[in-house]
Amino acid sequence: MKRSFRTAFAIAATVTVGLSWATIGNAACGKVSIAEMNWASAELMANVDKIILEKGYGCEVELVAGATMPTFTSMNEKGAPDVAPELWANGVAEPLKKATAEGKLIVANKAPITGLGEGWWLSPKTVKDNPKLKTALDVINRPDLFPHPEDKSKGAFIGCPAGWACQLANANLFRAFEMEKKGWVLVDPGTGAGLDGSMSKAVDRGQNWFGYYWSPTSMIGKYKMHKLDFGVPFAGSKNWDGCIVKAEKDCVNPKPSAWTKSEVNTVVTANFKKNASVALDFVSKRVYPGDVMNGMLVYMADQQASGKDAAYAFLEKHGNVWEKWVSPDVAKKIKSSL
Amino acid sequence: MDWFFQFPEMERSGLRDFKKSIDFAFRDFSRSYGEGIENFFEPLLMFLVWFEKLFINTPWPIIIVGILLLAWFGSRSIPILIGTLFSFLLIGYFGMWEDTMSTLAIILVSTILCISIGIPTGIAMARSDRVQTIVIPILDVMQTIPSFVYLIPVVMLLGIGKVPGLIAVCIYAIPPVVRLTNLGIRLVDKAVLEAADSFGANYWQKLFGVQMPLALPTIFAGINQTIMMALAMVVIASMIGVKGLGLPVLRAVSNQYLALGLMNGLAIVVLAIIFDRVTQKFGLRMQKYRKEIKD
Repeated sequence: MKRSFRTAFAIAATVTVGLSWATIGNAACGKVSIAEMNWASAELMANVDKIILEKGYGCEVELVAGATMPTFTSMNEKGAPDVAPELWANGVAEPLKKATAEGKLIVANKAPITGLGEGWWLSPKTVKDNPKLKTALDVINRPDLFPHPEDKSKGAFIGCPAGWACQLANANLFRAFEMEKKGWVLVDPGTGAGLDGSMSKAVDRGQNWFGYYWSPTSMIGKYKMHKLDFGVPFAGSKNWDGCIVKAEKDCVNPKPSAWTKSEVNTVVTANFKKNASVALDFVSKRVYPGDVMNGMLVYMADQQASGKDAAYAFLEKHGNVWEKWVSPDVAKKIKSSL
Repeated sequence: MDWFFQFPEMERSGLRDFKKSIDFAFRDFSRSYGEGIENFFEPLLMFLVWFEKLFINTPWPIIIVGILLLAWFGSRSIPILIGTLFSFLLIGYFGMWEDTMSTLAIILVSTILCISIGIPTGIAMARSDRVQTIVIPILDVMQTIPSFVYLIPVVMLLGIGKVPGLIAVCIYAIPPVVRLTNLGIRLVDKAVLEAADSFGANYWQKLFGVQMPLALPTIFAGINQTIMMALAMVVIASMIGVKGLGLPVLRAVSNQYLALGLMNGLAIVVLAIIFDRVTQKFGLRMQKYRKEIKD
């Protein structure tokens, strides 16, 4: 309900902004509208962008509520909002390619957050106690470290909850890495809450944990989970899209592969490039290190902070991160305004 | 007049600290006692695993024959036997055999656990009004509290899997057998008890020779309801990683697989109906003497 309201609001707002755009002239930077997506990391990024563009570059920034599909559609069709700070591009890959080819949209930043995406994770204790476990291939040979409570002789690999898209990918990778033969059980945690619960129980209790998760999330930040290198390269999109993500019967011969890369971009409109070109440089340099982002998400969850509160907290705490994104001049201006 | 229109609520930061202190207190509790609690439940877990393996690894014809024998022993009714046979053949034919066996195993164990805790509690309640005033509100909480609220602490203590699932099932399913045992014993005619007294029966003789047999129909209604509610919790238990018919239902729910959801849901229903009919008939047969008295 809330989401659909927000979506409707986003469309309405973006249309209004789009209409008013034509009538109002632009100064050096002028008016900029930024999409504030309805999840925590995107809220933070939108608010940080707003503060930096306003205080550092003298833009007039408006935040517009959004969600992946409606915001992208509106940017593509109406040219507004101007900036989508965190756009998960896998779902809109084709139209985005077309729009960039036509010059309507510009991918200003190919990876605004590092260390992002889905994959297999270890609890910090596991990494500390077993420095030799460098990749998934090493971990797979040590099921004894992760005893399954229902059968202590087997290792427990916590997969993806029943019915999620990642369930098939995890099950197929489980087969591809021949984990059953090596003494593993694929545990279905049932729900997202079950998955979170199993992770927090293991880490709180100082136990080993090996399973599927994704980042940026407050869970990863809160428990300082370690993303595991798969030890094999991504084995091509034919293997991934044609087999790994399909049901078991449609994927007879899965090849071991690293997890497919989640494309997250900062996308801006052609108008933004034209009118706020000074800010474009900032947008292209703006890369959040994954652990900083996760840390901010933990802060937001713990303090129940809004995106705005979190943005100010980020700018105050992580000067060494964001000062590199802008010129020293601009950095000074922003600092003095905090 | 602000306080009149706006409820004077606790300050936001104070409320946050309050919530946090509860969270941290529970985490500390889990850190210091979690291991011990887990070890306490270890034998139960081993039994559950063994029981499930027994069901899954036994060849299906033997299981079906066993179930039919039990159904015959319980109900002595040919239609129920035929219904049971067909339902299990269909379940197997539609590829739900293994999940059904997992579900059957956990439901049987949780029913046994619920009865063995529930009936003594009910007897204690019937015996003492003070126990009753303490236990009834607890039962109210157990029946109405949203299951995920107690699943969070249970998962934090015991992780995901069979034991937390079993506890979740029992919290929800135990109240009927407790309530109806209590009620059944309390409803036994005072005149009958007086007669027992006048024959010089002691407490235990009265309990097992008079009260329990007379309360049996009510107690059996309670057991029956407990089994039904345990089956209703199969899907909730799967939400914390219990294998069985609940997982495909969850998969169906998040992907709108109509047929998958319907088939596994109906398999749960079929189990419920068989359990229900057999226990009801068994309950009826155990009070056959009543009809004889009436005749």
